This record gives sequence, structure tokens and C-alpha cells, in this order.
Amino acid sequence: MLRAAPVKYVARRLLQGVFVLWAAYTLSFLILFTLPGDAATVAAAGGGDASTVDPKLVEQLRHEYGLDQPLWLQYLHALGKALRGDFGSNPQTGQPALHEVTQVLPNTLGLAAAALVLAVVVGFLLAVASTFPRAAWLRQALGALPPLGAAVPVFWIGLLLLQWFSFHLRWFPSLGDEGFRSLVLPAVTLAVPTGAYIAQLLSRSLRLTLGRPYIEQVRAKGAGEARVHFAHALRNAVLPTLTMVGVLIGNLLAGTVVTETVFSRTGVGRLVVQAVGDRDLPVVQVVVVFAALVFVVSSLAVDLVYPLIDRRIVLGRAAATA
Amino acid sequence: MSELILNERFTDGSAENTGHAEERPARASGFSRALRGAVTRPGLVISVLVIALVIVWALAPSLFAHHDPLTGNVAERLQAPSAQHIFGTDNLGRDLWARVVYGSAQSLAATFLAVVLALLVGSILGLLAGFLRGWVDDVIMRVMDVVLAIPTVLLSLAIITALGFGTINVAVAVGFASAASFARVMRSEVITISTALYVEAARASGVRWYTVLRRHVLPNSFGPVLSLSALEFGTAVLAISSLSFLGFGAPPPAPEWGALISEGRNYLATSWWLTTFPGLIIVAVVLAANRVSRAFEKNGATR
Amino acid sequence: MTSRTTARVAAFAAGAAALAFALAGCSGGSGSTNGAGSSAASKPVSGGNLTFAISSENGCIDPQQVGNNDDIAIARQTVASLTSQDPKTGEIKPWLASSWKVNADASSFTFTLRTGTTYADGTPIDAESVKENFAGIQALGAKATLGSTYLSGLKDVKVIDPQTVEIDFSKPSAQFLQATSTFTLGLVSNASTKLSVADRCAGKFAGSGPFTVKSFTPAQQAVLVKRDGYDWGPSTNSHTGEAYLDSVTFKVVPEASTLTGSLSSGQIDASADVQATDLPQFDGNGFWVRNRTNPGVVYNLYPNAKNPALADEKVRQAISKAIDRSAVTKLLTKWDKPAKSVLSSSTPYWSDQSSLLTQDVSGAKKLLEDDGWKLGSDGVREKGGKKLSFTLVYWQPTSDQLQLVQQELKAVGIELQLKQTTIADATATNDGTQALSWGNLTRADPDVVRTVFSARGTQNNNHRAAEAVDDVLDLQAATTDKAARQKLVDQAAKTLITEAWSIPVFQLSTTIAASDKVHDLKFEASSRLDFYDTWLSK
Repeated sequence: MLRAAPVKYVARRLLQGVFVLWAAYTLSFLILFTLPGDAATVAAAGGGDASTVDPKLVEQLRHEYGLDQPLWLQYLHALGKALRGDFGSNPQTGQPALHEVTQVLPNTLGLAAAALVLAVVVGFLLAVASTFPRAAWLRQALGALPPLGAAVPVFWIGLLLLQWFSFHLRWFPSLGDEGFRSLVLPAVTLAVPTGAYIAQLLSRSLRLTLGRPYIEQVRAKGAGEARVHFAHALRNAVLPTLTMVGVLIGNLLAGTVVTETVFSRTGVGRLVVQAVGDRDLPVVQVVVVFAALVFVVSSLAVDLVYPLIDRRIVLGRAAATA
Repeated sequence: MSELILNERFTDGSAENTGHAEERPARASGFSRALRGAVTRPGLVISVLVIALVIVWALAPSLFAHHDPLTGNVAERLQAPSAQHIFGTDNLGRDLWARVVYGSAQSLAATFLAVVLALLVGSILGLLAGFLRGWVDDVIMRVMDVVLAIPTVLLSLAIITALGFGTINVAVAVGFASAASFARVMRSEVITISTALYVEAARASGVRWYTVLRRHVLPNSFGPVLSLSALEFGTAVLAISSLSFLGFGAPPPAPEWGALISEGRNYLATSWWLTTFPGLIIVAVVLAANRVSRAFEKNGATR
Repeated sequence: MTSRTTARVAAFAAGAAALAFALAGCSGGSGSTNGAGSSAASKPVSGGNLTFAISSENGCIDPQQVGNNDDIAIARQTVASLTSQDPKTGEIKPWLASSWKVNADASSFTFTLRTGTTYADGTPIDAESVKENFAGIQALGAKATLGSTYLSGLKDVKVIDPQTVEIDFSKPSAQFLQATSTFTLGLVSNASTKLSVADRCAGKFAGSGPFTVKSFTPAQQAVLVKRDGYDWGPSTNSHTGEAYLDSVTFKVVPEASTLTGSLSSGQIDASADVQATDLPQFDGNGFWVRNRTNPGVVYNLYPNAKNPALADEKVRQAISKAIDRSAVTKLLTKWDKPAKSVLSSSTPYWSDQSSLLTQDVSGAKKLLEDDGWKLGSDGVREKGGKKLSFTLVYWQPTSDQLQLVQQELKAVGIELQLKQTTIADATATNDGTQALSWGNLTRADPDVVRTVFSARGTQNNNHRAAEAVDDVLDLQAATTDKAARQKLVDQAAKTLITEAWSIPVFQLSTTIAASDKVHDLKFEASSRLDFYDTWLSK
């Protein structure tokens, strides 16, 4: 399938990916190191009842952490360590940031995967349902669902689901890291915006595809509406949706921030919220770089898969760059 | 979350590359058209009314709510909705309706700040990239690619870690984090227009770049940018309320919408109204903003 | 938010929770005495795992470092202390030390250790290890937030013989005996005192208590298992052998409503962080509720002496007069009490000063009026172009209480701007210039007043220069005679209140809500949770 200099193309894309990661690291470093208070003060405070800290101790810790050096030196130093997988440690507990994130990552991935499956299935169904039925009112009613789903705050959906299905009907547990039942409500919550997004993207592109001349030809040849939809239109309509996979997965990751907080689930999302509150800069930075990594990897994967589906695309010539 | 409202012309920066470039609409200011079309589109009319209503709430809240949003009677706390308090009361006995109405000022102000910031920063970067091209274009757009690669909420969280908590900081964070989509739109407008024949002709005949900008680029990009602004308005409401919900936004007793839900969630088991009503208001505003955005876009497209 | 370091203290109103959901049933349960789960009739049985929910976990369960009530609940169970304090009388009783002697001016303490006690790694608990522990706490420095104040002025630790240790201070330190009963001075093995700060936080230490750390994932959960062979329980508990529970699982559940839902559905067995509004549903109905006021300094506003407006005693007094302390407690559980002194009513040497703490709105207004603070058009007073407006940064889960205080201050023309943040953010941005600060400190010894207020201490929350009251505070620390110390403590409390360096508001309390199958989950003298006597009915 890969017809045109795929090795060179892949190498170029990998290089671009590395650039994005470096830039994400640098950007987050620049943002985070303009802080008014710093890690040393946080460490000296120790998380206790005490409300004031000893300035001498803070100075000593600042020196230990290298915070008294010029910014560019701190940056080079930090970058060098980051390349070796050391993003720094939690100022209060001394836990390495990378370890803190990887420790809870499986939880988040599980939730995100469940939500993604749900979102794709529901998104496809809604998209098809909003173009397929003959009754215009039904098409419109179904078509109104995705915009609604996209307008609802994720945390609010979570709270409503908790209120009804956990407290009122008691179908699902409110606390949840264990078992399938505890995954249901968070996965539904997280799937709503993503599903709505997929449905909107797909139904729009499906409508465009259905309006094309070649579809008319297929219809003229006497194909049934179902065959027109599933055998011809859907296949082509999926393509623009595919290019958005990177953004989509990134948003799923972002959605876990709120979802995990609402459902008291362990995971990267809740970790980053806690880290912002605790001024645990290394963790915030790891998560930002991780988000960039997810984006890079998924975009690259899509680029490689794309030509397999759309024969018109030749790698390295007109490939998507999303 | 904030990219999740679809408008693929903006979010899908690669539209040209996927074989759908012909779908890019011709653009128009289309204001009068929008007004004429509104009469035949009740959804749009309702949307405009919703936006207008919350703006009026923000400007003159006392016309709509008689209770003090900040002072409550502890004896009347956590009362369910009634004729006296149509949205019920909160934990300090404050009237929730009054808090929602008065809260619109802060919520909208934060949203406007975020959108205006995103618009200014994004447009300027987009203009620079589109006009100057070359390495400036490369640098700006590569940085924008990176910004787009990081979900807005995560980027906002990083900025908030640096700036500290508070409504303005949250708005600034959301604004900066959303600037990239404006930059992309503005750049592609600039490039499309400045390569158009009549603009090239104008340039060739010695018209200065700023005149080209003022006469051709800005008027033509008005439609897409307006549509994107309306869209970003909705996403900003969502992003700001999310961050407020997480506790990084308005300090008490400010009745910012996200903060209202955040406060109310502690009483989820006993007082459903505290989370339900402010949530409904947010949904209504975001839906309306999205509807308006689509109308701007369509009007541009149908000319 | 993420760092709730005190027990949840939000609102409660009788009957307010009686609607909306099936589970919201009110009962007139007793509460402060034993609930339905009391063990009076039945005999404790061993075995089982108890799941206990906490609302926050800040990444550290080392007893010698923690300062946050949720973390303390975990850490307390892993160590035994030299002494134990009786929750009823406040008396100090033997634990790891079988006896002790204190010299006349409370500057030298000699402990005789009981024999046959060991750390979880098998090494003996001897005089040498006590010395190592104290050296370890001093080495932790500011990381041992509480320990560093208990050991301040420590001169020397002498090992007299393997079972006898003498601890000398450079100045009198009457508080030290009570300090030896706290988890902060709980003992860990010699090897553990030499671990890195991070490893100690991660629970890799070998303790001396009835439970040991089996696993710990920061901000998620900690599992403690019972220590086989433990038989040195103190006389303040109801047994001395091994703990009854096989294990205790601490789960971190930050969302108040999720916590309530998990307790009512049986996903967790007990918690001390149930939202006050949700408590009525656990009073009866197969659950029980028990409340105890935390000893120590109550929730206070601390005026900053460096702030020009607050340096003026009249302004401080006006703030204190404006506050209706009983209205604030309406937002709490039905057992909660307004502040009646700087110290809470469960603290030894407490005395009732509530006559100095009554609300007097017109008195407050008059004070300000006479002092030249005139009402501005926006309802905020001003003098010489300066507004009577203060910002308060806080991280405690007391938003509702502070918002009420804010309303009350507004009524006399004082603007209070609230800024809620996290503990880390609050400390990182506190440069000592903030006009007001807010907080409490739990400890069952009146010396806690000195810790918080003394101008010679490290906290000095008022940022004052030393005054007469600091001498009184130092003196009470050097006094072992009960009556004499009582007088000094009273004098200090009165001075701090009348000069309004302390603006007490309400007393923090801890409320346990548990399923009926949980028995004898107790409070120790400092209102810390004690799982040693706890057992589960089958």
C-alpha cells in the first residue's frame, strides 16, 4: 500500500513528533516557571497546620533545588534530566513525577478506552440515524442530540448521573475504581462530549457524501438506501473524521480531569487537579507533555492507516497533517 | 473540553488536504441576511433571545431578582424551589435564582475576556504569519500546532498553576489556550485573500500592505472570525465553568455559574436544585452560542 | 478542593435534609454518646477488614511528619508513644514508658521504658532508639511541622541504661510530657529514622504500633494490617493485646456526595469526613454517629500587626464584636459549639470566656465611628482615603462559615474579601503581609496557645513584637503546678481576646459516622481516631 518513499515520510513525521514533544516541554516549562511562589516554599511548608515557614529554610531548599540559578541554566538542566526520564519530584513527598503519573495511568487508560468505544458506537449510530430515516422530524430530532451533547458541561452530566443512578435509583456505585459497575457512569459521562463530537463530524460529512454525484449513480443503479449508506457513503464519510482522531483522544484525556474528580476515581485527571492545587509543577508538566505525546502518536497512527482506507492518498504527497 | 463543539472548518485545519477544499464557503459579512433569515428560523430566534437575556441579566440584575445574591437568611437554608424562591436556597439561605442572575455578570465578563483575548492574540499571530510568511510563518504556526496538540483544559491548568487562582486568571488561561484556532483561521484568510488576483493587482499597483489589510483582508475575514468567536464563546463558557467547578475560579461568595455548581455538589444527596438549575442555564447559553455561530457560518456560506 | 486538612465542618440544619431522596431519613439519634453500634452488650471478635473513607491524602503517612487530620488517621495507628493521654481526664498515662519523672521547672524528663516491646522490624524499643527518634525529628526540621515545636529547646537526650532515657531542655517545657503522648513523637525503628524523607512519607518505616503499613498509594488508598504479637496497648484503651481488625483500608474520597453515597450503600464502613448536611441520615437507620470537639486552639482570625488598620486595637475589637458565633455554628453539626475562648472546651486548662465573645453590632459600629472610620457610599468604612477592607486567603473547608462572617462584617462596614485556595498555594504565596489569616491547631495541651500566638515562636501568626502576654505564655510553659498554670493560661487567653489578637469563631469537631457493624471506633484525647479497640460484628 505504501507506495511513495514511506520510510522517508515516516522519518519526517517522527521528527515532527519529536519537535512537538520538545516544544510542549519547553512551552510548559516557560509557563510554569513564571510562578510567584516556588517549590522550595511548598516543600518547607510540609502540608501542616503551620501557616508560616522559615525563610532561611526556604533559601536553603531553593539552593538545593537549583532555583537560585538563571532561568536558561535551569531549563537546560531540566531538559537534560527530562530526556533521561527524570521530570523532577513532588516537592512535598519526594515522589518522582513520572512515577506518580505512570502509577495511575492504567486507570485513566481503562476509563478512556471504555468511553472511546462507547463514544464511537453512539456517535456512529447517531450520525447514521440523523441521515437515514425517511421521516424528517425524526431525522431532525436525532440530529439535535449531538449539538446538545456538546453543549452540556461534563461535570454537570456526571453530577446528574450520580444523583439519579447512584443516589436515587441505586443502580451503580458512586465510588469507583473497582469492577465493571463502577466504570459505567464515568465512562458514560466522558463519552457524551466525544460521542457528540464524532456524531456531528460524521453526520456532516455523511450528508456531504450523500449529496455527491457518484452516490446518485449508485442510487440510479437501484441500490437500496441501506446499501447506499453502509457500502458507499459511510466509508468515505469516515475519512475526515479519522483525521481528527488526535484531537479526539486528546479531548478524551482532558475530559478525565473533570470526570475522575466528580467520581472520585484514581487517575491522571484527578492527579493533575491535585497537582495544580499542590503546586506540584513536575506532575503538571509530565501530564502536558504526555498529552502532546498522545496527540503525536495517534496522529501518526492515523496518517499511516489513512492510505489503507483511502486509496487516493499517497503517503508523503497529500497526507493529512492534522 | 473546549474543542469539542464542532465546527470542522476551524477545528479541522487540514480541510484543504483531505480532498474537501471545495466545501470551503465563500465568505460574506451577511448581517442583514442573518436578520432576514432569523424570522424563518425559530431556533435561531430563541438562541438570540437567550443570549440577549443573559446579557440583560448581567447589565441590570436587580430588574430580575429581588433577593440579595450575597446575603442570606441562615434560617431559610437549603429550601427546595417554591414561589418565594423559585430556584430554592443554598446552604447559607441565599436565593439561588438571584445568584444565577447576578452571577451572569461575572460569568459573561470572564467569557468575553477569554474570547477577546483569544481573538486578539490569535488574529495578530495569524496576520503576522499570513502576511510575512517565510520563517515567521513557520515558527508561529508550528507553535500553534503544539498549542493545538495540548487539550485546552490541560494547557489552561498549566497556566493557572503559574498565575494562581481567580476568575480573571482562569479567563486569561482559557483565552491564551484558545488563541491557536483564531490564528489558523486568520492566517488562512490572509493567505487566500492576498493571493487573490485583485489583491495582487492592488499590491502590484503600489498599494501599501496596511491598506490591503484594511480594505481587503479584515472585511473579508470578518464573517469567519465572527462565527468562530460565537463558537468560542460557547466553548469558553464551558471551559471557564469547568475550571471554576474544579475550584480554580471565582472565590466565594461570587455567584459565578461554575462555582455555583461546585458549591452545590456538596449537597447533591439532599438538595438537587443547587446543581441542576445553574447547569441548565449553562447548557442553554452554550447551545444558543453554538446555534448563533452556525447561523453566521451558514449566512457566509449561502451567498 | 484537594487539601482538606481538617475534618469536614460544613453545614447542617435540623430537618433540612429530610427531602429529595429516599435515603434521606432523619432520626432523633443520640449522637454524642454511643450510637446503635455500641459494644456494651457484645464481646469483641477478631477478624475482618474495615474500609474507612478520608477526604484527602497529601502524599505522606509518616507520623513524625504529618500535620493533616486525614493523614493522621492513618499514621496514628502505626506507632505507639511513650505515654498515652486519657480522653476523659486529660491525664498522662503509661504506654511504652512504664513510669517517668519530671524535675521541678519541667526542663528535664526521665522515662523508664517497659520491657519486651519491639518495632515491626523486630528490633527492641530501647533508650537508644528513643534518642535516635528525637534526633531524627530534629533532622527533619521544618518537615516535622508539629514535632519541631514539641522539641524546641531540646538540649540533650541521655541514654542512662537500655530502659532509661533522660531528655533535657535548655528552658522549661511543661508541654513536653503531653507531647510524648502524640503520634508526632510516636516511635519508629532506628533504621527507619535514617530513611529518606520520601521513603518515610511512603510508609516504608517500621513502627511500634498495633498496625503496620501493608501498602500505600498517595492520594488513593492505604492498607494497614494488624501487627502480630503486639501486646503493649495502653491503659487508656479497653484491651492490651493485638488489634481486633485484620486490616484497615483507608480510601481517599474527595467528593462529599460520593462519600455519603458510598457509606450509605456499604462500599465503605465508616468515615469522619461526612458532610454535616448528610449526617442526619446516618443517625440511626443501621448507622451511628459520634462527635467530639477537637482540643486545642479554636478556629480563629489572626490579625496581622503589620497591617496599619489592624495594628489599631479598636478595629480588631470591632471585628470580634461584629461576629455572631452562635449563628456560625448553625451551619455545622448539631453538636458543634461556638468558640468560648482561644482554647476549645475539650482542652485541658480550658475556661469559659464567652462573656468576652458576645456579638455587639452597635458596639462595633461605635468603636469604628469613634475611631474615625466613616461609612463610605458603598457601605464600607474609610478613614483618610483608606478603605476598611481586608483580604483573607484560606484553604480550610470552611467557606460557608467564612461567608457568614463576611456578611456580619459587612453589616458594620468592614469589607472582607475571601480567597479560597489550597494549602500549598496558601503557604507558597504567604509572604507575611496578609492582613488576616485563619486557622486552628489541634492539641490537648494549653501550650498550643504559645505555639500559635507567641511573638517569640516560629509561627507568630499575629506578626507581633513581644509583649507582656508573651511572658505569660512562656511562664505557663514552665509551670507544672496545676492551679498556677491554670491562672496563667486564663490570663493569656483573656489578654489575647480583649486585645483581639485572637478573634475566635467556632470550635472544630470531628464526627465519626459508621455502619452498625463497626464497634468501638474511638477518639483519643486529641480527637484523633483510634482503631486499636475497633471490631466488626459478623
